[in-house]
Amino acid sequence: MRADLYHRCVVAGLMILLGLPVAATLLYSLATQWGATILPDGLTPAWYVQLWQDARFLSAFVHSLEVCIGTLLIGTLFIVPAAFVVFYRFPGLAKLMNLLILVPFAVPPVVSSVGLLQLYADGPVTLVGTPWILVGCYFTVALPFMYRALANTLGAMNLHDLMDAAHLLGASTMRAFLMVVLPNLKKSLMASLFLSFSFLLGEFVFANMLVGTRYETLQVYLYNVRQTSGHFTSAVVLSYFAFTLALTWLAARLGKSDRGAS
Amino acid sequence: MSVVTVSALAKRYGAATIFQDISFSLKSGEFVTLLGPSGCGKSTLLRCISGLTGIDHGSISVDGGDITHTPPQNRGIGMVFQSYALFPNMTAAQNIAFGLKMQKLKATEIAERVAEVVKLVELGGREQQYPHQLSGGQRQRVALARALVVQPRILLLDEPLSALDARIRKSLREQIRDIQQRLGLTTIFVTHDQEEALTLSDRIFVMDHGKVVQEGTAETVYTEPETEFVARFMGSYNLLDPGQGKALLGVEAKGHIAIRPESIQLLNHPQDGSLPGVIRRRQLLGNIIRYQVESAGISLLVDRLNRSADDLLADGSAVQVLISRDSLREVR
Repeated sequence: MRADLYHRCVVAGLMILLGLPVAATLLYSLATQWGATILPDGLTPAWYVQLWQDARFLSAFVHSLEVCIGTLLIGTLFIVPAAFVVFYRFPGLAKLMNLLILVPFAVPPVVSSVGLLQLYADGPVTLVGTPWILVGCYFTVALPFMYRALANTLGAMNLHDLMDAAHLLGASTMRAFLMVVLPNLKKSLMASLFLSFSFLLGEFVFANMLVGTRYETLQVYLYNVRQTSGHFTSAVVLSYFAFTLALTWLAARLGKSDRGAS
Repeated sequence: MSVVTVSALAKRYGAATIFQDISFSLKSGEFVTLLGPSGCGKSTLLRCISGLTGIDHGSISVDGGDITHTPPQNRGIGMVFQSYALFPNMTAAQNIAFGLKMQKLKATEIAERVAEVVKLVELGGREQQYPHQLSGGQRQRVALARALVVQPRILLLDEPLSALDARIRKSLREQIRDIQQRLGLTTIFVTHDQEEALTLSDRIFVMDHGKVVQEGTAETVYTEPETEFVARFMGSYNLLDPGQGKALLGVEAKGHIAIRPESIQLLNHPQDGSLPGVIRRRQLLGNIIRYQVESAGISLLVDRLNRSADDLLADGSAVQVLISRDSLREVR
């Protein structure tokens, strides 16, 4: 009983520790004014109204969505077939892939940004300042999440027997992939896409260094408006937080039903 | 109803020979088993016949037509895998219908044929369940139905029962044999279980280290093993080396002498040709009692029918061992 109380206290303490800043930010984003008092003078949705009517914010939000969705579309187009080919035809490459997917984490974004700036600032391929360089960068960031999730599912699904069975029943490799393998990858793919999306939406270093205000994303916008009003930036942070929370919840749900189905 | 001929088939992986110089013919509607220990090349041979694995040498023909280089999907072969290989994203009915969909048949015809085969494998009521909702036996029936529904010329079964528990294995193997006979389907079955091979097969090919070491009917392979390996693999044969054969039976032999445990008699009183022995241990195997008897310093296994508890011989009992000369078989 005493141990139970202790555990409850630890969990409650941790939740308060983690939840307090979020709650304070939420309260601050809804406060009319909050200066020298314990609680705010009054509550207002005005900061949210102002934020969601701000054309610059909406444009940054759309930019972020465009870059993230574009990245994940290209990622799906390349990483799904690559993972399938590695597991089905060249299992020896699995070790190399496991090393490759660590590279984006091994080099800090600040360091790789400098290299990318030197490479793509001018000819022959000028990409700095355009969303395309972000899509390329984000692809490498999403690769480990997506490849790992797909590799786990492919490794657990008895791929060779399934493909052999489909072949013997008259399916070509492409048809077997589309009808048998891909539907079984769907759940892990969707979960990894949502996780990557949440992660990329919060990315700041690449966006700020490679593109900056020329194609302002959500995080760069947040950085640039930080001096305007604390209430306003709190509303930005909370809006972003709510959006990623919803995505993470969706990813967790998909992951759960994936395990249930197997 | 197909005739299958395999000629001088060989397969290597790098320096390792998986099998070599494999030749055999299957009669139409015959049930043949490739029997051997793990790693003897039997599953690879089956995969080569299916076309899923390439061969290095030899040829395969069905009904006189060479299919050596025909892609797997055009060989008219149905295969059941050890792992079932059911498509997890499809229901039992969708799994069964997959091959028919690939043949672009009309939906009504697909539904009819699926219903027929579901009835044949006794899977009624499970059609809309997904593989993970089915038991091992039901999954294997779906796999069998999926292979049968396309009306293959040859059915290949790669250890289809090895992942099932003993009771289901027995009932399913009877069902497989029954369906095979009803359809008159030429079938090649791969197993490492000699009991399965003996109960199911018209003919058995015993394989060891990539070679067929003996071929024959179940009765022949069991009662007339040609090599020491087959004798050991097929059952609990007593194998006496030439010295032991001479000491115990006074028989001169170049190779080992194989004696089936059930062909040795245990008597209470001496008889002409019997030898004194002592029961060292007994094992109850259901309807059979297996005694370990020591005679002239040689340990022998003797099987007796378990008629009643009164017949049981206690450990340490003195008995007379009678080995008929007809039951001795010299093996290489």
